[in-house]
Amino acid sequence: MRNYFGNKRAIAAFALPALLLYTLVVAYPVAQSLYRSFFDWDGLGAGTFTGLSNYVKLIDDPLLLTSLKNGGIFALVLVVFQIGLGTVLALACADAKIKGRKILKVGYFIPVVLSVTVVCQLWIAIYDPTNGLINRLFQMLGIPYQQNWLSSPTVSIIAIAFVNAWQYMGYQFSLLYAGVKSIPEQYMEAAIIDGCTKWAAHRKITIPLMVETYKFCFIVAITSGIGAFVQMLIITNGGPGTTNFTLTFMIFRYAFNEFEYGYACAVAVFLVALSLLATVIINRLFERERITY
Amino acid sequence: MPTRVNIGRLLLQGLLWFYFLISVYPLIWMVSYSLKNNDEIFVTNPFGLPFHFRIENYIHAWSQFSIPRYFVNSLVVSTISTAGILILAVMFSYAIARMVWKLRETARLYMIIGMFIPLQVIMVPLAILVRNLHLANTYGALIVPYIAFGLPFSSLVFYGFMRSIPVELEESACIDGASIYKTFFRIIVPIVLPAIATIAIFQYLGAWNEFLLAYILISDEALKTLPLGLLFFQGQYSTDWGGMGAVMTIASLPMVIIFMFFSDQVERAMTVGAAVKG
Repeated sequence: MRNYFGNKRAIAAFALPALLLYTLVVAYPVAQSLYRSFFDWDGLGAGTFTGLSNYVKLIDDPLLLTSLKNGGIFALVLVVFQIGLGTVLALACADAKIKGRKILKVGYFIPVVLSVTVVCQLWIAIYDPTNGLINRLFQMLGIPYQQNWLSSPTVSIIAIAFVNAWQYMGYQFSLLYAGVKSIPEQYMEAAIIDGCTKWAAHRKITIPLMVETYKFCFIVAITSGIGAFVQMLIITNGGPGTTNFTLTFMIFRYAFNEFEYGYACAVAVFLVALSLLATVIINRLFERERITY
Repeated sequence: MPTRVNIGRLLLQGLLWFYFLISVYPLIWMVSYSLKNNDEIFVTNPFGLPFHFRIENYIHAWSQFSIPRYFVNSLVVSTISTAGILILAVMFSYAIARMVWKLRETARLYMIIGMFIPLQVIMVPLAILVRNLHLANTYGALIVPYIAFGLPFSSLVFYGFMRSIPVELEESACIDGASIYKTFFRIIVPIVLPAIATIAIFQYLGAWNEFLLAYILISDEALKTLPLGLLFFQGQYSTDWGGMGAVMTIASLPMVIIFMFFSDQVERAMTVGAAVKG
């Protein structure tokens, strides 16, 4: 059998195509980004080595603060909406006596399978100040509140983050729902026999036992906040002005509009480092909370 | 006591259906305004179903705009990418799940890392790479990166699946004189088929909806995929809401239909992703 499974030619035939393609298109560009972040490079010639100056420049870049703030708000909206509300919905939906569960789950998940362009354009229409769904709804209900959702510098970032939160709610919901379902029902039954109310039992038993699920959900929500881009691009093109800029927007603009490829690579490296840091911190925080029964 | 419990459950039921409405109503609104004219959308009937269906919005969208073009591009790119991912990932995962070689653990870890690499860090060098390989403005500019990005996740799922297959099957095939290739194609591939189906749906969906790379790598009008092409209407036809709605509905329909038929597989593929990454 050793010869059979150790057939060198077969191993090469099976493994090499994938490894080569992956190296060329994924691994090599990652190394390139890291390497080029130390260069003044326009993407064409060899460029000049400038050490850490791209990173020094980044710290002084006024767009960095805007981008970090927007990434933070974006992540916060995702956490509150998807994980907060998602948890309530998942717990409610897992209740044995709830009717129409299948339809509910499908309804929550449909936006996930749509193209992000369609979803963004739909929400541009919904946010439209005169004919949009939301302002019209306020009118119809007699609420004298109208908002310029997308052109107000303070509201627009939240409005845009909400589009992402709405679209991918179904994804986080199905993770949380699977998490709730994975906990043996005996724990709940025992708690209720001991006189615990259902919600108290969920708070004390179900949620603490879902550490692994929450860890993943938080990592997804927070790293998508840090890396947010497409919604800003399609809905307001980073505006008004540069108020809706994010780190990815910076990469994009410096590389493809101003041809400062080296600097763009530095921003990209910074973004990845920040995402990794967030992942490590989340892991640590949840590690401490781990409970085993 | 029993009445209180019922009120609680009623509230929960209410909450669940309320969010259902938030999740689904915008889509119903979109489909219904795709069948209205501007007068009906803006003035007479903004919320409800259309009074009479204006199918002409769809006929107009299909014949006037480049929708068929984008549609074909999306179809070609998604189909070839998905096929490529499946072939390469199944072969690679067989090599790391069964074959015996020195670097196989290294190769597996090397591939796993790919799942944690955000697109943003690759974006800039990839654009240059695609240009240098003379792939810019060809289907290859999308297909090659899509396949490469699909490999880590798919390989890991197949790897897990193959590890659970009893090795005796292959041993007896070997004793019966089948070559390793024959064993792979006749025994392993059929067993892995359910996982292949799940991954196929997942990757097809991903490729069909992919936006960021397409936006960076494709500028030729004739090669744009649907998500990219739709962006163009935003500026051009922003006053014709009915037409916009029709275009958006046409673009969404294939994925919604696939999801309706395979909702369990799609959700499973998604949650498998979480398990693999976590």
